[in-house]
Amino acid sequence: MSLPAPHPIYTLRGAGGALNTLHFRCHGEDPHLLFSGSGKGSIHIWNLNSRRAEKVVEAHSGSSVTWVSTLQSTDTLISQGRDMQVCLWDLNEGRSELLESVWTGSVGFCQCSLLETSPTNYLLAFAAQQTEEIKIIELPSKNPVCTLTPKAKVGMVMCIKLWKTNSGLGPLLLAGYEDGSLLLWDVTQRAKLSQVRAHPEPVMCLTFDPRRLRGISGSSEKKLSSWTLDSQNNIQLQDDVTLVNPGVSQLCIREDGRILASAGWDDRVRIFSWKTLRPLAVLQYHTDMVLSVAFSDHQDPRQRLLAAGSKDQRISLWSIYNDGAGKG
Amino acid sequence: MSQINDPKVAFAYLRPACVLLTKEPTVANVETLGEQLKEIHDASLQQLQEYVLFPLRFVLKVPQLKKEKLVQAVAEALSYVLEKTCVQSWDTLHDLFSELCLCLCSPTDPGKPADLSEELKSALLRCLDALLHAAYGDIVFKLYEPIMLPGLGAAVSLLLALGEKEKSREVQAAALRCLQSLILHCDCTQEHVIPSSDERCSVGSTMASFLPGIAMAVSRIITGNLRQGHAVTVRAIKVWCGSVGLVMEDAQLQSSKACETPSQELGRIGQLVVQRAPEWVKSTAGKLSVLLKKIISCTSAHRHWRVRLEMVELADHLLVACSQSLRECVGLLLEALVGAVNDEEPKVRESRSSDGTSQILADVLSENLHSLATSLPRLMRTSNDQKKLFVLKVFLGYFKVLGPLVSVVLNSAAHLERISKALMQVLELDVVDVRIVEERSHGESLERSSGSVGSYAAHIPQKHFLYFTDEKIFSVLMEICRTLGFYGNIYLLTDHFLDLYRQSLVYRKQAAMVLNEMVRGAAGLAMATGAQCLDSGVQGPSASQEDLKVAAVSIMEEYTSLTNWNLITTCEETDGDRQDQQVTLFSQVWRCSLNSNIWQLCIQLEGLACLAQALGRDFRPLLMTSLYPVLEKAGEETLLVNQAALNSMMCISQACGYSSLKELINDNSDYLLNDISLNLQRLSQHPQAPRVLTVMLAHSDSSLLPLIRDVVQDVLMALDLSYNHSAALFCSVLHALMKALARWFPVSRCRTGGSARSKTSTDDFNCRQFLLDYQKQKDLAEGVGIEVDDTEDLEVPPASEGEDAEDICGPDEKSELPSHLIITKEVAERCVHLLSDPRLQLRLKVLEVLELCVYVLSERENELLPMAHRCWPVLRQRLTADDPLAVLRAFRVLCTLGEACGDFLRRRVSKEVLPRLTSSLTRQAPVSAKAGPVYTHTLAYKLQLAVLQGLGSLCQRLDLGEADLDAVCEACLPYLSCRQPVRLQEACLSVFQHLIQVDPDTFWFTLNELHCPCSYTPPHPDLPPIQLSGMGRPRDEYSDNVLKLLREEFGLCDGSVC
Repeated sequence: MSLPAPHPIYTLRGAGGALNTLHFRCHGEDPHLLFSGSGKGSIHIWNLNSRRAEKVVEAHSGSSVTWVSTLQSTDTLISQGRDMQVCLWDLNEGRSELLESVWTGSVGFCQCSLLETSPTNYLLAFAAQQTEEIKIIELPSKNPVCTLTPKAKVGMVMCIKLWKTNSGLGPLLLAGYEDGSLLLWDVTQRAKLSQVRAHPEPVMCLTFDPRRLRGISGSSEKKLSSWTLDSQNNIQLQDDVTLVNPGVSQLCIREDGRILASAGWDDRVRIFSWKTLRPLAVLQYHTDMVLSVAFSDHQDPRQRLLAAGSKDQRISLWSIYNDGAGKG
Repeated sequence: MSQINDPKVAFAYLRPACVLLTKEPTVANVETLGEQLKEIHDASLQQLQEYVLFPLRFVLKVPQLKKEKLVQAVAEALSYVLEKTCVQSWDTLHDLFSELCLCLCSPTDPGKPADLSEELKSALLRCLDALLHAAYGDIVFKLYEPIMLPGLGAAVSLLLALGEKEKSREVQAAALRCLQSLILHCDCTQEHVIPSSDERCSVGSTMASFLPGIAMAVSRIITGNLRQGHAVTVRAIKVWCGSVGLVMEDAQLQSSKACETPSQELGRIGQLVVQRAPEWVKSTAGKLSVLLKKIISCTSAHRHWRVRLEMVELADHLLVACSQSLRECVGLLLEALVGAVNDEEPKVRESRSSDGTSQILADVLSENLHSLATSLPRLMRTSNDQKKLFVLKVFLGYFKVLGPLVSVVLNSAAHLERISKALMQVLELDVVDVRIVEERSHGESLERSSGSVGSYAAHIPQKHFLYFTDEKIFSVLMEICRTLGFYGNIYLLTDHFLDLYRQSLVYRKQAAMVLNEMVRGAAGLAMATGAQCLDSGVQGPSASQEDLKVAAVSIMEEYTSLTNWNLITTCEETDGDRQDQQVTLFSQVWRCSLNSNIWQLCIQLEGLACLAQALGRDFRPLLMTSLYPVLEKAGEETLLVNQAALNSMMCISQACGYSSLKELINDNSDYLLNDISLNLQRLSQHPQAPRVLTVMLAHSDSSLLPLIRDVVQDVLMALDLSYNHSAALFCSVLHALMKALARWFPVSRCRTGGSARSKTSTDDFNCRQFLLDYQKQKDLAEGVGIEVDDTEDLEVPPASEGEDAEDICGPDEKSELPSHLIITKEVAERCVHLLSDPRLQLRLKVLEVLELCVYVLSERENELLPMAHRCWPVLRQRLTADDPLAVLRAFRVLCTLGEACGDFLRRRVSKEVLPRLTSSLTRQAPVSAKAGPVYTHTLAYKLQLAVLQGLGSLCQRLDLGEADLDAVCEACLPYLSCRQPVRLQEACLSVFQHLIQVDPDTFWFTLNELHCPCSYTPPHPDLPPIQLSGMGRPRDEYSDNVLKLLREEFGLCDGSVC
């Protein structure tokens, strides 16, 4: 613990707004990219080699961009904005053309969740017009798959996570609600599998590790709550992690399942061991709320970066716990 | 004139003259024959040759006839005939040869030249030369038969003696030319007999007997008199080259004929014949190499390029012809050649053309290179500059000749080690100069350079080396490094020199210099690539752009690593305690190490520029990491480092294709700001971060502002966190920032300039209107026109409502405030805090910053006035109870504030500041009136001056009340005295000029009270006469200035009466 506090290896500035969402795309030979969505409605595509914004897409006519992602298979960017649209963009050969847009009707902050079922098809889950309703559609055909509405009163949908199990079941969906409940849905059955009250306050964010069947959720209080899925797909609450300051906007587990990062409202990014949930480091650079964290998907584990986007309009890039990569 | 072509006619024509000559051998007759000979055609002359030659030879043969004039005339005629014809008979050749030799030699000793006139000698030598050229191919070789040895020997020694001892250059040259003909190495334009290999062999065998003599004597000529002129030396080298090349020729020695035993018939002559057996060859080669060494050492650095050229040809010829037999000399010859590769004279440089000697030489060359590298440091210490230059040229030559083979040679660790160590030692810098540390840059250079990029760049620091002073030597050394980089393996070299760099502090600077040039060389910059290398097929550098980039990155990382970059270059700490000698001794050592640090930084900065030049536009991505360190050094105080950094920036911006420094910085401001912002958070490790910002601000424009905003926030936050430690540092940043803002957003002064030109209206003074106005004012004062007043009051609210309306939407609009004003406000806030700092220097700096803040804010009164209010208490403290320096600065701020805020500060100034100022002025007036010229250097004077200069406009801007104006006037009047220093008087005049604009009448009266030049008669006799106390006063100390004011401000001339 005697190590000095780490410093960001670089900071990206000039986004011109709060950074709600970040997404890396580092596989392939292309210049490695980081996508960021700002509160001013622009999506910046940062080139991580030159550390400059390669392109700025004005995506949602000035409304805040809440979520960005890319498809593994094609050069397609998906963005969600507060203008109640989810847009698909073609990025091939330096273009940035609008391919499709889907109207969600949601006025909340719930970020979409994407699941690629095959190279050409993928499922998109999003909060719908009714505050507690979740819709899942198939893209690019735009066919609605299902609509999930809880019977009990749980309030607005706050966060969702769609994933595919290794067992025979179809895709599952985890959703956090305003009253602090977590619900597990079976998408194909359109049925609730399990429900648990994880927080007294709204669930602000959740993340899930499908390999360990273990997830963690954050709220506006001082507590992170971790839970597992048992063989019957019941959510079992596990240890809590108590934070110094309340409020977490986003949680992210690194691909290797070793560390967890939290974007805190106290301007700090905290790093935990995913196995033990022991706090490992506090990354302090930003001067305002951290809104988003993301780990890069670089093939070389040593070059996997952590990015944190903050309300202070800066993105900080960190290289942490990369040396012993590969060891248990 | 047509020549006689028919032999018969010719015979008839010549006959009388020939007969006459035989009978009466006189000069006239010879000349007649000579004239007539010229009219005969060559072919006819050939037929009559024997006939014509007879009388001439007859003259030579008869001993008693040998008068010099006659012999000379005969020799000339003979030469003419011989030049035009061929000698076909051996007897003629033999006889003529011996006759001519006989004429030349002294009667007693056939080996010594006779004591003859120079003209005669040169005529005879010319004749001899012509004879040798005229001899037919089949007979000329008879000359070289063993039987001829004695005669030939005599001729050779005669010619050598002439060549060596003779005073006249022409004779010397002619003798040497004859020798050249004799050894079949003539270089004239005539046709020559080309010997078969057998013939050449026999000639060689014969000449072998004379080789020792020729070689010795000729080398004496070459190395002898420096003043003998290059022509002789060149000839001598040719002779040496020809004779050695002839006798030691590999082709001859390999054939069996070379060592045939002479036939027995020769008798005693047989003993003279040399057998060129291997032992003989070996011993001769040994002796020759001694001579060769002498010759090379004497000629290779010869002043005349022809000599050097000849030397190259010698080396070339011998290398081609005798590389086997003269094995011992190959090294020497190569050295001479290699040295010439870098000759200043292009003809010498390009002359090297031998291509037969390629691969086998590589070993010899690398061997030589190794030994030269070994001895290089010693040579550099001991020899003179001329010699050093040559040695280094040889060194460079080896690399050039080796060409791409350099990389093979360098693969040998021993070679690389030797070469690098040699370079390290040779390039050692001399770092004892005091000025390096002492020189300081004072910020101005920053601004100056930002203005004019082109005119800058002149000040490039000059390096001083321990072992040489000549600039040429340095440039050769740099070329060596470039050549290394060009041909060598860039990875290997970079690794090796970086190792040296890390290895020891002693090598660091040299290694960096080598690396810098090496990289440039590897990119093919500043490389004169000729076809000089052995393997001339290769064009372009060996390293690819990719390799170069990798090497550049590793070099840059090493240079800019914390330990190598953050070197101590200033000695503020030691300034205080430099008293006794021990400390001085200590500081001597300390200074050296500081100097060394400074040089290292300079070299590394140059290095970054070199890397940029080498990579060109590919350097742009590297700017991410390299620009910040360079800017960091550009903000350094040490002049040399500062300049080097600016130069480096200039180079980088050029290399990367930016049109100016501004563009470079603007385009890469994101990289810079990133580092600045990160480093501001760990200021203890990176105290330079604010400096970089300063440099950035100095060099860029307002387009930077949006990006800079959050960094400014960082700066302010960092400042807030460390008021005690780094406030001074931050103050300079804030100063730079505000200066930049003031430059980027010049305030339009229209708001302030409009008022107070009321003076023009006084010209056409309307008495009636004045009285009416006066009446109105009086009524108002007595409360008569209150209703009117009310209406006026009513008129005001709408305007203020408008302001309110603005204020209502204020909270929203506040965020719309231009960001430069937001920044300025924040800065001003810090200034308010820092103004009461106990450190005087800091307070002064802060006052400057505050002044700029006021200037920038002055365009928004809404922002300015609250700020003025906030800073007033501290500013008052500075004005009233602080060090005079601070008072001075604070007064300037006050003036600017007054200029910007107008009457906002009126009451405060008049109550809190003005009394002090006026009292200090009054107090100081008698002092300055009495003081001598030294007074103008005192602080008190400066304060007086500043106050007087600013007071006038301040009074005017603040719209001060009458009482205050009176006080000001009271205080200033003493300064109108002509006893005051001139500048104070001028400043005081300006005060009055301003005061007069505020209230002309009062001050007209005041001035006239003091001195009134003219009397005023009332326009009507009923009015009482005007009595002013200044009237009729004699001229006193005030009169001049008062008159001046009255004249300039009121248009009053002495004689005029109103």
